[in-house]
Amino acid sequence: MSIIKTVDVKKWFGDFQALKGISMEVAEGEVLVICGPSGSGKSTFIRCINRLEQHQEGEIVVDGIELTNDLKNIEAIRSEVGMVFQSFNLFPHLTVMQNITLAPIWVRKKSRSESEEKAMELLERVGIPEQAQKFPGQLSGGQQQRVAIARALAMEPKIMLFDEPTSALDPEMIKEVLDAMKELAESGMTMIVVTHEMGFAKEVADRVMLFDEGLMVEENTPNEFFDNPKNDRTKLFLSQIL
Amino acid sequence: MIRDSKFFIENPYGRWVRDNLFSSSSSAFLTFFAGFMVIYSYRGIVGFILNPERMWTSVTYNMKLYMILAYPDEAMIRVWLSVGLALILGGLSIGFYNSGKTISLGGIFQKLFTISAVIAILIALAPTNTNVIQNDGSIEVVEIIPQDVRMLILVPSLVLTLAFFFLRNVKIKNLFNTAKVNLTYFGLIIASLYFIKIPTISLDSSGERIIPDPFLPIASTTYIPWTILYVGMLLFFFIGSLLKNRDIKIMARLIPISWFLCPLFIFSWIFKKPLVELNTVFSADIPSILVFGVIGFLIIRFSDNESVGVYRTPINIGFLVLSIVVFLLPLVFIFKATMVLLLLLLIVSPAIATTKEGKRQLFIVWVVSLFVLTFLIRGASSDTMLVTPTGSIFGGFSLTWLLAIFGTYASFPLGLALALGRTSTLPVIRIICTGIIEIVRSVPYITWLFFASVMLTVFLPAGVEFNLIIRVLILTAFFSGAYFAEYIRGGLQSIPKGQYEAANAIGMNPFQRIFLVIVPQALRTIIPTLVGSVITSFKDSSLVAIIGLFDILRIGTSVIPAQSQPVVFIGRNLEQLVFLSFFFWVFTFVFSRRSMKFEKRLGLGER
Ligand SMILES: Nc1ncnc2c1ncn2[C@@H]1O[C@H](COP(=O)(O)OP(=O)(O)OP(=O)(O)O)[C@@H](O)[C@H]1O
Ligand SMILES: [Mg+2]
Repeated sequence: MSIIKTVDVKKWFGDFQALKGISMEVAEGEVLVICGPSGSGKSTFIRCINRLEQHQEGEIVVDGIELTNDLKNIEAIRSEVGMVFQSFNLFPHLTVMQNITLAPIWVRKKSRSESEEKAMELLERVGIPEQAQKFPGQLSGGQQQRVAIARALAMEPKIMLFDEPTSALDPEMIKEVLDAMKELAESGMTMIVVTHEMGFAKEVADRVMLFDEGLMVEENTPNEFFDNPKNDRTKLFLSQIL
Repeated sequence: MIRDSKFFIENPYGRWVRDNLFSSSSSAFLTFFAGFMVIYSYRGIVGFILNPERMWTSVTYNMKLYMILAYPDEAMIRVWLSVGLALILGGLSIGFYNSGKTISLGGIFQKLFTISAVIAILIALAPTNTNVIQNDGSIEVVEIIPQDVRMLILVPSLVLTLAFFFLRNVKIKNLFNTAKVNLTYFGLIIASLYFIKIPTISLDSSGERIIPDPFLPIASTTYIPWTILYVGMLLFFFIGSLLKNRDIKIMARLIPISWFLCPLFIFSWIFKKPLVELNTVFSADIPSILVFGVIGFLIIRFSDNESVGVYRTPINIGFLVLSIVVFLLPLVFIFKATMVLLLLLLIVSPAIATTKEGKRQLFIVWVVSLFVLTFLIRGASSDTMLVTPTGSIFGGFSLTWLLAIFGTYASFPLGLALALGRTSTLPVIRIICTGIIEIVRSVPYITWLFFASVMLTVFLPAGVEFNLIIRVLILTAFFSGAYFAEYIRGGLQSIPKGQYEAANAIGMNPFQRIFLVIVPQALRTIIPTLVGSVITSFKDSSLVAIIGLFDILRIGTSVIPAQSQPVVFIGRNLEQLVFLSFFFWVFTFVFSRRSMKFEKRLGLGER
């Protein structure tokens, strides 16, 4: 049973077509890595999945709910789908603890004490329990991104979306974020990860996809994808990146 | 070269002087030039102030007039209660929010050293003589600071400066809590009321003869009330500390709310002494509380009910129509005001009243705010029992305060609403808000004041007549609201798109997104601008003098210079202007220093 299903999704920015018909499925617990050259529509596609962007044609079904303009559906889906951004987007006016508990308290209507307990658990899981009372501006990039992961997890989502979570980070911080993501994948979370970290793809992904110019040009298991790609475009991409 | 002498190389003070004041020949020139200008103007000002032609008793004698104009003598206790309430709340907050910051004895001596050194320098530089123009046009040189008086101040302050200079380095481990030290300073200021003497005038019991020796302790009539208030403040400081130590969380919410309500309570009940008629309480206030209490209860109870949810839009429209009807009907004011509160409840309840606990809390808040609102409006809208010759109990500084506080209170939510409306996606709301902002801002404040004083009554429906002060308050709210709106809009635009996306991605609804994520950040970025505009409206409040209100400036420029009883103060303009500039400066200076500290604390979250 697939938890995400898209059929022939198309998306235009004005005259420019960013997505040219993407059909795919993600099963529950699966880890999908999407890679591809810059401007190929990777971000646009995963942002369509929690409707930060609206697609114009085709169909997206998340956890049995079809994405339409109905506001109730969108809010329901957004609280099931967590998202981690390239630029962290933490709330700078709140402490780490408040960043994480904001949505559980206001959106999930949980009590403060329960949310704080859960937040501490999550901070321990991503390895920074001692930073709870600091403000985002006082943390390193890697720590901020791990707070962002904890913030998304606090909503107890069924699906996590990652949009290049490590590309704004210094090399020495990339590992700590990837480790947190690896741990999450092992716990059985359904994940879609846009990344250029091929090591992560090889080790963690169940499936790897290549996007190019708004199309999905290859979909494969990690082993096949790296060692025996079907498509010439993939070979070119791999030769550039590896 | 002198610059390379031993003193300027080895001594830390010498090195500072060398590096900062005389680092090059051009900077040495600038230092000398600026120093000369400062000393020259200082001596000019002192000569002006101490010139025997000045009559400072015209200021000191009229201090009460300045503060409260013609507030009746027999009700003075109400003025003191108002000040006392603010001080008590201040003491409580200082105790409760005490950050535990400490200062060492050496640090205290360092400050005292600076103060006494500054006093010594000022006294040493003060001029001995000044010129007085005689009646026949000739100029006579008069001694203003006799040598022995100068020495009497200079010698002790020099001795103290030296003493503190060496005491600065004492290595005593004792640390003192800054809050307590500051309270002690305040106590010393109060104590000075008892012994510092300045010239004033007092009348004998018949009220006709001036008592010959005009030198009395400063504010001889006020030191007892000030002492009592100070003791009260100390008491509440300790209560605050106690509450902090007991870790009583609810206080962290109650204190800001009290600060918010305190001026409203003072102006509507304490300062005003309203004449409350029991039959209006029974015919208007209690029915209003009951009716709105029940409606509010129903809104909270059914806000998340599935079957009611289907009719959400028609219900909301229904309430909107109802509120317009309530506003048009000739109902008592309390119903109209509570209707606004009800609309607010309608907006927030879907976000809060979703669990049993949330509903219970919201209902408690609803009932409490109903009572508070009714209570305040009852006081504000009743006639006053006090009788004053000018017909208004507000005048002088109390009027300035009233305008400043209400201007800020009303313009803040109005500005926020206008800013959000102007950025709204609904065209009608956007156009209306933009229109209001642009029209209000394109006309000078003075013009609006004339509008309020003469024209507003023409526009209001027949029979509706507001007192001039209330008209000015409404107008000021709109005027500063329009400016606030533009500042806030600037702040809103400075929030990166990622913040909206992050709020969306965790499933927030538009209401939560705006009020939990966007607005707090927008407000933080514009605090310096907002502080600036609050200070401006504090000063601008003196413009109301031109439409006939007796604010502190009008008292100084036209009331006092026309006094001929008990002493002739006719033409004493200069003294008043000097005093008023100093007075306004003290307030705005303290305010902007406070807000700088506040900014620093808030800035913690920013990199
Ligand atoms: N808001 C927008 N308006 C107009 N064009 C857009 C917008 N967002 C994206 N695009 C365009 O759509 C295309 C796909 O963008 P997208 O951000 O999805 O690429 P990407 O694969 O994530 O690239 P990168 O690896 O650089 O992040 C790009 O050509 C981009 O210029
Ligand atoms: Mg991208």
